[in-house]
Amino acid sequence: MKTYEVFLKKAGKEPFGHAGSLDAPDDHMALLFARDSYGRRSEGEQIWVVSRDHILEGNQSDLALADRSHKHNDGQRVSELRTNQRLKKELGE
Amino acid sequence: MHTLDDAAIEYLLGFADDELCVGQNHSWWIAVGPFLEEDLAFSSIAQDELGHARMLYEFLELEESVDQIAYGRDPREYRSAHIAELRCHQWPEALVRHVLYDLAEEVRWRALSKGSWKGIAAIATRAIAEERFHLQHALSLAERLLATAEGRKRLLPSFQRLAPMGQELFRVNLDELQLVESGLLSSPLIDQKNSWIKNVETFLDLFNCEINWEQFQDAPGREGMRSSDFESLHAEMIEVLSLDPNAKW
Repeated sequence: MKTYEVFLKKAGKEPFGHAGSLDAPDDHMALLFARDSYGRRSEGEQIWVVSRDHILEGNQSDLALADRSHKHNDGQRVSELRTNQRLKKELGE
Repeated sequence: MHTLDDAAIEYLLGFADDELCVGQNHSWWIAVGPFLEEDLAFSSIAQDELGHARMLYEFLELEESVDQIAYGRDPREYRSAHIAELRCHQWPEALVRHVLYDLAEEVRWRALSKGSWKGIAAIATRAIAEERFHLQHALSLAERLLATAEGRKRLLPSFQRLAPMGQELFRVNLDELQLVESGLLSSPLIDQKNSWIKNVETFLDLFNCEINWEQFQDAPGREGMRSSDFESLHAEMIEVLSLDPNAKW
């Protein structure tokens, strides 16, 4: 048996999402089981089945660098600055 | 417009009872299938077969409710073929019955879908859409197992024992010519049986397996005689209903 990962795409502009995994003797049976395991209630309109052997796994420690807060930008500081500027203008200062 | 004559009722009731028994029998494997994926696939097929039984019982427009017809009849009033009643509690047997039964269903539904009764043809067309997956599943899995010596050792004896029994699926207790004359079936049961036998043989030829079709020729199930397996199967069907007759699902 080989392990496969299953991805489903719902109708519309939704991207493919991971549905789960399964074991099957080969690619053909993997597709059949994917439908029965993850799509039998019409959960999606498209299905991808990928053999786990074909997935490249990155190095986990590469993702866990120390402080990456400077990479985050929720726009809060810019938004505060603009609000203050607008208020000042409205007050005619 | 069609009239539900006695032959049609006998035939459709037999088909519905086959579906009911096979659906119930398949569901025995819920949670104990050979592996999780097969468990889900087989359970899903069981549900489909029960759904087909329901559509056929509803079509018959009998006086009692569908539940009453499905679960409440006297055993002699059932018309199921004995191969459908078989309690296949060994996985190789369950899989072999699934292969034989779904190969037969494909032929049987097609004859209904091409007949001139619109209501039943619509039901058949819907069933065929589901049957495509059942058959793919049954044949793909059996093929892979039969490719190994161990698989052949475990599956082929079941094919040899069950395939002759499968002929009963193409029997009816009343005049079968009437079924074609009234337009219910597009081809006679004998022709359907022969194409099923051909399909079974084509599949088994790949594995050098020969069937002795003479072994079983009767149709006791269609005549109202239940097999020894029916009692426990029926008890399982009505287990909840007998605890609470008003149970809602």
